[in-house]
Amino acid sequence: MPGVAFVAHCLLNQNSKTHGGARCPGVYSPLVEELRAAGWRIEQMPCPELAFTGLHRFWAVKEQLDTSAYRRHCRRIAAAVAGAIEVHVRRGDDVVLVGIEGSPSMGVHITSSDPERGGRPEWPDGSSELSRGSGIFMEEIAAELAERGIEAPRAMGISHQLPDHDAGAERARLRELMGAG
Amino acid sequence: MDRDARGFKVALVAGELLNPAGGEIDALAVLQEEDWGAVQLPAADYPDDVAAPLLEQVAEQAEEFARNGYTLAVVRGRAGLDEALARYGVAAPPAADPATADELRAFLAEVAG
Repeated sequence: MPGVAFVAHCLLNQNSKTHGGARCPGVYSPLVEELRAAGWRIEQMPCPELAFTGLHRFWAVKEQLDTSAYRRHCRRIAAAVAGAIEVHVRRGDDVVLVGIEGSPSMGVHITSSDPERGGRPEWPDGSSELSRGSGIFMEEIAAELAERGIEAPRAMGISHQLPDHDAGAERARLRELMGAG
Repeated sequence: MDRDARGFKVALVAGELLNPAGGEIDALAVLQEEDWGAVQLPAADYPDDVAAPLLEQVAEQAEEFARNGYTLAVVRGRAGLDEALARYGVAAPPAADPATADELRAFLAEVAG
């Protein structure tokens, strides 16, 4: 088997997105097409924000979600996912993670951050919360895998939420990620 | 509330049908065509101690969809799913184990009403 991709929940289920964020009714097809074409197995990770802050949640930056309770919630999910990753690693499967760039939870290389944001929801036009770094769930799954003695899998984030999103470049990055094992 | 492209329909699907092999139907392709989202159930090749916490997450997420009026359906299902859903107060959604893509389409259309 070529490999196993653990993907962000919303890539197979856009219903989990914050209101206004769903790009399609259900399955985000570009990701599926690339993984399928390469013969990779798809494993969906739970959405850490869905059950914790709900379907009516506001768009949030990392600082707004970064509480001890949310970290514990993410660690509980991370433990479940790490158990599955461990099964594949022990079998010798190549494993990658696919998150969501710009997400406060699922960002891989880009999260969202604004230490000043809080209180009555106001999102001034032109303000940018995107910043280098990983989301909270990605940090917790890295910690969980480290505790299990498992090397962190290669990872990338889907960039469809970013203003400079380039669908062709995104597909190329995914192919590169799969081919780098 | 912002409107977006979501379909408000979510299928809880056996892992094997999202990664079809050896004549299994390609549930993901059908779900995509029919505007459903997918929540993947733990694959049968995971040991019970690995599958159980994943199943718990499926149930916890299904509860949030159910209480917000999203349409839920189960495709093939998995041992322990109904019990996990019950722990979160979610009634067992309509379920089917279709043998063909057309049967899956018909089931999803029936559930969607």
